[in-house]
Amino acid sequence: MAYSPVLSPKPNPPATKPLPANPKTKALAILNASNSPATTAASTPGDGGLDLAEQMNDEVRRQFITGNRLGEGTYAIVYSGHYLSDPKSLVAIKKIKVNADYKDGIAMDAIREIKYLSELSHPNIIRLHAVFSTKDQNISLVLEHLPLGDLEQLWKTHTVSYGIADIKAWASMLAQAVWFCHENFILHRDIKGNNLLIAADGTVKLADFGLARSFADPGRPMTYNVITRFYRPPELLYGARYYGGGVDVWSMGVVIAELAIREFFLPSETDVGQLSAIYEVFGHPTEESWPGISKLEFYIPPDASSTATTNGVKVGKKGQPLGYWKARFPLLGEDGIDLVRGMLTLDPRKRLSARQVLEHRYWTNAPRPTKKEDLPKQGGGEKKMGEDLKRRGGEVDSGRADKVARKLDFSALKK
Amino acid sequence: MKLTEDDLYRSSTQFKHWSFTPEQLASQRLKTNITASERVKAAVKRQRAQRLRQQDTASTSESERNGSGIENGGNTPIPMDKEVNCLTVAEEQKLVNTFCERAIDLGTFFKFPTEVIATGVQYLRRFYLYNSPMTYEPQTISRSAMFIANKTEGHHLTLEKYAAGLTKTSTEQVLAPEYLIVQALRFHFDVRHPFRGLKGGHLEMVEMAKGNAAILPTLGKSAKELQAEMQKLPRKAGGPPTNTTIKDLEKRVTEAYGHASHILKTAAILTDSYFLYTPSQTWLSAHLLADEPLTHFYISSKFPPPATSNPTYTKLLSKLRECAALLSSHRSFTSSSTSKEEKEAREKKEQAEVQQLIKKLRHCRDPDKMDLVKLNKAQKRDAAEGGQLEESKAKRRKLEREGYQKEADEFWGPELPKMENGAKAN
Ligand SMILES: Nc1ncnc2c1ncn2[C@@H]1O[C@H](COP(=O)(O)OP(=O)(O)OP(=O)(O)O)[C@@H](O)[C@H]1O
Repeated sequence: MAYSPVLSPKPNPPATKPLPANPKTKALAILNASNSPATTAASTPGDGGLDLAEQMNDEVRRQFITGNRLGEGTYAIVYSGHYLSDPKSLVAIKKIKVNADYKDGIAMDAIREIKYLSELSHPNIIRLHAVFSTKDQNISLVLEHLPLGDLEQLWKTHTVSYGIADIKAWASMLAQAVWFCHENFILHRDIKGNNLLIAADGTVKLADFGLARSFADPGRPMTYNVITRFYRPPELLYGARYYGGGVDVWSMGVVIAELAIREFFLPSETDVGQLSAIYEVFGHPTEESWPGISKLEFYIPPDASSTATTNGVKVGKKGQPLGYWKARFPLLGEDGIDLVRGMLTLDPRKRLSARQVLEHRYWTNAPRPTKKEDLPKQGGGEKKMGEDLKRRGGEVDSGRADKVARKLDFSALKK
Repeated sequence: MKLTEDDLYRSSTQFKHWSFTPEQLASQRLKTNITASERVKAAVKRQRAQRLRQQDTASTSESERNGSGIENGGNTPIPMDKEVNCLTVAEEQKLVNTFCERAIDLGTFFKFPTEVIATGVQYLRRFYLYNSPMTYEPQTISRSAMFIANKTEGHHLTLEKYAAGLTKTSTEQVLAPEYLIVQALRFHFDVRHPFRGLKGGHLEMVEMAKGNAAILPTLGKSAKELQAEMQKLPRKAGGPPTNTTIKDLEKRVTEAYGHASHILKTAAILTDSYFLYTPSQTWLSAHLLADEPLTHFYISSKFPPPATSNPTYTKLLSKLRECAALLSSHRSFTSSSTSKEEKEAREKKEQAEVQQLIKKLRHCRDPDKMDLVKLNKAQKRDAAEGGQLEESKAKRRKLEREGYQKEADEFWGPELPKMENGAKAN
């Protein structure tokens, strides 16, 4: 127990009057403030049967004006928008699609995204301004407007050139977002370049919490079918049902590596292929390098597939030596390479935690990360991103069902 | 780099939007009760007028008319002359509490995890802070709230399986109030529970009993010294020191945990404790009720000695006593001194009172909100038709709003223009 919490006086939140500024409710609030609650009875049932919650929802909805369509994802359509009261305060309105195949009411992606974003308030995590539902029972999330594309587009846009200190700045914003999620006992479970959106001022923000969940209590199993394949850590590929923050740290390592090489670091076409891609770089893990690995459901020891032997015992591929890293990742520098290899340690117990990532010397050693205002940017995201560009990551409409990781499609890669 | 539990709690929607003082709770409940009563009375009045009109045109017999009743509320006799006898705030509270208990039973029947049950019950309590059981019937709402809790807690359960496990309930009925509920929750799905805190504290106490606790340097004691002191703790507050073996001490720690855990799963979710106290305060209070000397000892170990002269410690303890008083006031709370007869008598009295209330509720339900499935369908149809309907509605609303505004203006003077234009939500 950190002992400060219980010492805090009883929560006494600032304004607990949740009633928004609806003229009617405002009148009620005024009446109440005058300590004559009996007069509130003045309310007549003339709101077409709308009750307080419905009125409050309508009130939230009326605060926003929806504009042009910005793009479409698997489970939502995103529109630009702004506050009615101030056309300059932009927002993105994410309208959850109604999935005809999902018969169980409000979609799980929406529930998760709303639940977790409501609790997280951090400069490197997309802000959720409000949530409302419409008459036809669609849910819309009012999100921070992040117009400059995402990290994946950034490395793909070859007209943008960047260097070692820029990568450090982006990586640092990512690392802080992940650390903050984990401090709040939240796993993101879908970290990848195109879920890292860029604000007008260059700030990187972690978005898309549709697969997030809380850290499980010890002993409560979770699904291993999460995280887009290129970014999925080996323990999930092996079918681990008990895992922790390490899964996000792995994804983060892959994202930083991609920024440095400006191509997909560990692309594959199947889950098995993903493991091979990982072995190519990190070697084939064994019970010695990763105690307990043989108990994982889909683990395959390095026998038939391998030709190398040591003392007559077949061994798997060996990991690439430091030289490989130095040659392939000049944009990380030695500290950066050490950090990324720490994030991409096969055994999740030996992998760096999000907190350890932030404590790494990479951040404090020279060069200093580029200041946000000096970071290279790609021009107006909105115009530049055609539908084809948006699919570049190989995402395909898989009707992302609950607990199913988004599938990857390779048509975009084979060109 | 580490955030304290306090930092984490303060950024939660529970703290920001669902924490109250007892006065705030009372005034909100009164407001909800008044609004709902007015609405029920007006709706009933309207309905009576309509029937009178029908009586004039048609010549059906009195008995037939009464028999046909209102949809789904066929057994709701609406006396033609009497003023509707609405529930009081206290009665509403009692009904809500009853249905919270039933929701626990429902969750236990389905073997939902503790968190799911506790979240579902909390949704119910939040919902009925702004809605009256007269408007929305608690059984319908609780079934749906429990289903939502399964989703928000990430506990996999299909609607079909759930509805099949309920008596006489269709999947449609479970889903019909879903939007109503999530709106009333203002889309705040996260509920902070005291369970994890209790578990963590318990493990710490186990370590203390074993003599290997990690100790704050300011305490100026070794783990062994702490253990020795712990072995001398009296059984009851103010009792004589004991000489407990380490094995018995561990047993004592475990028993306290069991008792506290039970309180958290019953009294804590069935009272206003979530609205009034932080999760840490709640679990420590439950632990205090379970084993006072042990809890005091544990808390003292977090302060530089002597803890008792530390104002923060004193303040904390009085807060915990207050919360403990709330928890132990619940019917489900039993101490060793409660006899079996006493308990049964208590239950019986409660049952009788609840039956009475449910009967009363039947006569004061809002006739407009009886059939949520129908209402839900109508709403979707409205939205689909959109256009004209929307427009006329909007116009009417606007007029209404202007009316309210005028009333308020006349009474209070016009609002400052700044608030009209510049105001921005959140
Ligand atoms: N906050 C935002 N600000 C500006 N544009 C946004 C914002 N969020 C999303 N967009 C745009 O809308 C598109 C769709 O976003 P969405 O998050 O629904 O899907 P996605 O991440 O592209 O795909 P998927 O959900 O399938 O992973 C994005 O590609 C982006 O162009």
